Amino acid sequence: MSKIPPGLLPEGLRDRLPPEAEAAARLLRSIMDSVASYGYERVSPPLAEFEEGLVGQLKSDGAQDLLRIIDPVSRRTLALRPDITAQVGRIAATRMAGRTRPLRLAYGGEVLKLRATQLRPERQLLQAGAELVGSDSVAAASEILSMAVDALEAAGVTDITIDLTLPDLVPTLAAGPFPLDPGLVDSVRAELDEKDAGAIAALGADAYLPLVHAAGPLDMAMERMRAIDAGGALQSRLDGIAGIADALQGRATITLDPTERHGFEYQSWLGFSLFGADMAGELGRGGSYTICHADGAEEVAMGFSLYLDPLIDAGLGWKEKKRLFVPLGTESDLADRLRSEGWRTVAALTDADTADGLDCTHQLINGEPEPL
Amino acid sequence: MAKPIIFAIPKGRILDEALPLLAEAGIIPDADFHNKDSRALRFGTNNPDIDIIRVRAFDVATFVAHGAAQLGIVGSDVLEEYSYSEIYAPVDLDIGHCRLSVAEPADLAASDDISEWSHVRIATKYPNFTRRHFEAKGVQAECVKLNGAMEIAPALGLTRRIVDLVSSGGTLKANNLVEVDILCEITSRLIVNRVAFKTQPEIRPLVERFREIVGGSDAA
Repeated sequence: MSKIPPGLLPEGLRDRLPPEAEAAARLLRSIMDSVASYGYERVSPPLAEFEEGLVGQLKSDGAQDLLRIIDPVSRRTLALRPDITAQVGRIAATRMAGRTRPLRLAYGGEVLKLRATQLRPERQLLQAGAELVGSDSVAAASEILSMAVDALEAAGVTDITIDLTLPDLVPTLAAGPFPLDPGLVDSVRAELDEKDAGAIAALGADAYLPLVHAAGPLDMAMERMRAIDAGGALQSRLDGIAGIADALQGRATITLDPTERHGFEYQSWLGFSLFGADMAGELGRGGSYTICHADGAEEVAMGFSLYLDPLIDAGLGWKEKKRLFVPLGTESDLADRLRSEGWRTVAALTDADTADGLDCTHQLINGEPEPL
Repeated sequence: MAKPIIFAIPKGRILDEALPLLAEAGIIPDADFHNKDSRALRFGTNNPDIDIIRVRAFDVATFVAHGAAQLGIVGSDVLEEYSYSEIYAPVDLDIGHCRLSVAEPADLAASDDISEWSHVRIATKYPNFTRRHFEAKGVQAECVKLNGAMEIAPALGLTRRIVDLVSSGGTLKANNLVEVDILCEITSRLIVNRVAFKTQPEIRPLVERFREIVGGSDAA
């Protein structure tokens, strides 16, 4: 193998330098403070754990791609976490199984994806979020979404859009009021993903067309969805959506996309994506889901996750630098006082050090900070 | 509006069929768009809120997937090749009809039985889609990626088979190749960036407009 050039990192991994690394820490802190103010307590699961513990924790139909290693100590397969939600589910189902429900937990940390995509080239992401274990009611959803909006606002995101989705609606309808030939379910879902009305009609799934046409701003979407006669399954979901929208009144633009299942592998009746002004991608997502206990019991939960990297890249979390150059021979009392006033002091160690060279914004003149 | 919507249009065969559809939707590019000598890549339209960019077909999908363009027109061949999760393809525009096919030299085809393949070497512009298609049939496809002139590959011994777009079949015939299998039928689609679809209210009426123009049973 050829020698690795100095500084080269594996694909999808990177160093964060000043001031980005600090912005990342500041953003994480503001989000954690925001969810803590709602009574969510922080847990900190490990970076890697037994693969068995990570997989199958949340009820889902899809297999997950994990970065696995064989642990030389236990000789079992370990997996690096691609998502902290499943770990929080494990904690809730084991060590904190005895705690009174609802259980309110928060987390923030790095996760590692097996593969980067062209659209999201990072493999290591900073994830932060909150999970409400023991309820997936409208009240729970309203709390989670209000908190997500608060957290994004605290991070500096403006013009927040929440796209609500009903991840289990299509399977529910296919099993009941709008039956689909089992052989066609996959094709219909693929066309629903593309929102290709023509192809859905061509597959003979005309009953699903109004769902595609309903996607859009909440008022219009609700009106169109209410017009669809599909029995109680749809009715109860729409009533839930209406309740959530009421709780969020005016705090964000709300859209409804009843057939979206993009990345909602384990969500049940409700899913949502979060968007912000001038940000090309999704900022976070969440919804209701089911945690599987070891004894086969199932427990409902609701939560949201934010990915901080797009926020950092958009320049959020930055703070004005107040770096003050402290020349040789300055009284240590003076430097202490300036630090206590919020200055970041950068002390000269030799005569050769200069304010400019050390990236300072201010210098001391007659004992007072002056801009450079 | 602060920023105009960017509409990505492919160069080449789809362009001529797409322009009348755009005109019907009320989008008429500036005169400079038709000027062969123009080196511009971005053009205004009669609608100050919409700009057009003219790029390669594969790049239409890339621009839209990344949200650099909000709308685009592209063949379903390109969508199959990339399967970008951030693209919606809400309207089949019913233009740019052709098919993606496997072709091989006529003398090979005479004795070839597709059902007995276990491994094939194929020159194609669509390595991902080709690999996926054959995998589903239990065949391992080793793809040599070419960007054009696939038809010459068998004659020069690069690969014996190719996967390429076929419309009339004239190019295949001229190169002494015959079609032995069809991967899928292709038409051009209106595509929309997922985030733009959800967050930019002015996108939806445009999509509905195209849906009406194409008409049929899918009209809202």
